[in-house]
Amino acid sequence: MKGRAEIREFVQGLLANSGDEGTLADSDSLLFSGRLQSIDAVEIVVFLEENFGIDFAQIGFDKERIDSIDAICALTQSVAKA
Amino acid sequence: MVAQTGFTSTRAKGLAEFRLIPRIETYPAVVSFAQTPLGKVALLAVFALGMRYFLPDLPSVLTLMLPIALITFLPEYRRFVLAISPIAIVAMQSANDLLTLGLTLAVIALGIFLYWCAMRWPESRFGKRPVLFLLTGFTLLILLARAATPRSWPHLILWGLVGALASYLWFIAYALTDRNSKPGRELTLEVAALRPLWGSTNTPFPKGAAYLRRIEAKNPEQLAIFQLKGLKLLAWAILLAALQGLWYRFFHGYLRIPMPDQALTMSVQGTPVAWHLRWACQILAYFELIFTFSIFGHRIIAVCRMAGFNALRNTYRPLSATTIMEFFNRFYYYFKELLVDFFFYPAFLRYWKRHKRIRMIFATFAAAFFGNSLYHLMRDWQIARDDGPWRAIASYQVLFFYNAFLAAGLCVSQLRKRGPKPAGFVRAHLLPAVGVGFFYCILNVFDSDERMYPLIEHLKYLAGLFFIHF
Repeated sequence: MKGRAEIREFVQGLLANSGDEGTLADSDSLLFSGRLQSIDAVEIVVFLEENFGIDFAQIGFDKERIDSIDAICALTQSVAKA
Repeated sequence: MVAQTGFTSTRAKGLAEFRLIPRIETYPAVVSFAQTPLGKVALLAVFALGMRYFLPDLPSVLTLMLPIALITFLPEYRRFVLAISPIAIVAMQSANDLLTLGLTLAVIALGIFLYWCAMRWPESRFGKRPVLFLLTGFTLLILLARAATPRSWPHLILWGLVGALASYLWFIAYALTDRNSKPGRELTLEVAALRPLWGSTNTPFPKGAAYLRRIEAKNPEQLAIFQLKGLKLLAWAILLAALQGLWYRFFHGYLRIPMPDQALTMSVQGTPVAWHLRWACQILAYFELIFTFSIFGHRIIAVCRMAGFNALRNTYRPLSATTIMEFFNRFYYYFKELLVDFFFYPAFLRYWKRHKRIRMIFATFAAAFFGNSLYHLMRDWQIARDDGPWRAIASYQVLFFYNAFLAAGLCVSQLRKRGPKPAGFVRAHLLPAVGVGFFYCILNVFDSDERMYPLIEHLKYLAGLFFIHF
């Protein structure tokens, strides 16, 4: 089971690939702010499927749930509890 | 040497930071002034003056600016004003056409009802796949209208309903997908997002109520900043429109380079224009599309920002794109988002999960080919009315080819393994950007809304660009 640090590292990698070297707080918006694109959201989905066993087809997909590191952590915790 | 490098980097930094339109939203004095009554009046007056450039007459400007002024001075009523303004405008425009008015109001009521159903019964079949039900229902409505006796009342009402629903279709679709988000305390923003005040194409700008809630100004300072950004964007749209006028005069007036449709027509008639002129008109068309989409998108988003929402631009630096996918994202952002939200994600999340590449290709074709085609078929419902659904589909052969070509390009763009970024401006930016431009120049050969000529004529025209004649 991976945690916040791994999620943060993964997200920072995506930002770096987009040429975004700015500071990143855990609550910062990633997708709605335009810092990451839809194709990056796909990368996040695959990361969560592979590392946390999240099946978005089952739980329903909503970009808000992966829009920040905080939101992603909350999602992984809620799925782990379920 | 060190000094030279320092000079160069300082110069490059200075160039990168140069703005044709200054970043007034970052000047504290300007932001403070924009929050005063006098500043608000000045901001509204300058914006209205700018909108006059695009709108046909003064009443049109006043119709738009009245709600914007209300929102500016009474931001606590923003959602209410936004909810009633589009309905009031429709009522004013359709005052002499009660059938259209009635059908439009019926469609708005239907949208709210479907949203309520999706919220009320989230575990039902409809609640789980509401957009699928909506699109299927719209298709069935077209078939039903087609079956009605021509020039009868049912025929008139059903096709009127198809027309009204077609223009609200994707707005309702966004409302239905927003069911997953935390709903607001009231539904005024949901109503406002069904054909918002700032306008749009059939593609919702900027998406639905859930997105609007996230980008809404939370205090007077944010409102002032967003409005200043809106004013800047409008100024940018006016500059581009003026430049576009000069561009057309010079290239198509003075140099007499034909428009792509003219060049294609001459090719079909057996009197093709010279090879270099064909290329010139394809290259020009690439830039002209960027002009057109930038201008109308900036204008809409400028008004959206004036209403207090910090929406992303629809077109953002497309010429800096270094991949086909990036260009697609930067060129017509909200249409791309529509395809991604309603076609790409549903396909990607459900199918081919164990095969990474097939999964990506399948989802990309679901969006860029299937979704794109469906969007245009539903947008152009009049063709189904006049020619019947099957002939309408057949007449879209060029569009289908365009979408398949685009989808293939996007697949390659996404699946290509990325190595480390090459050094230097030419290799890192210029050459990839030229490559992207070349792809879209070729693709634009098939970008024709007129549907005048069959696919083979477009293919012949394309072949002619490479000295191949058949």
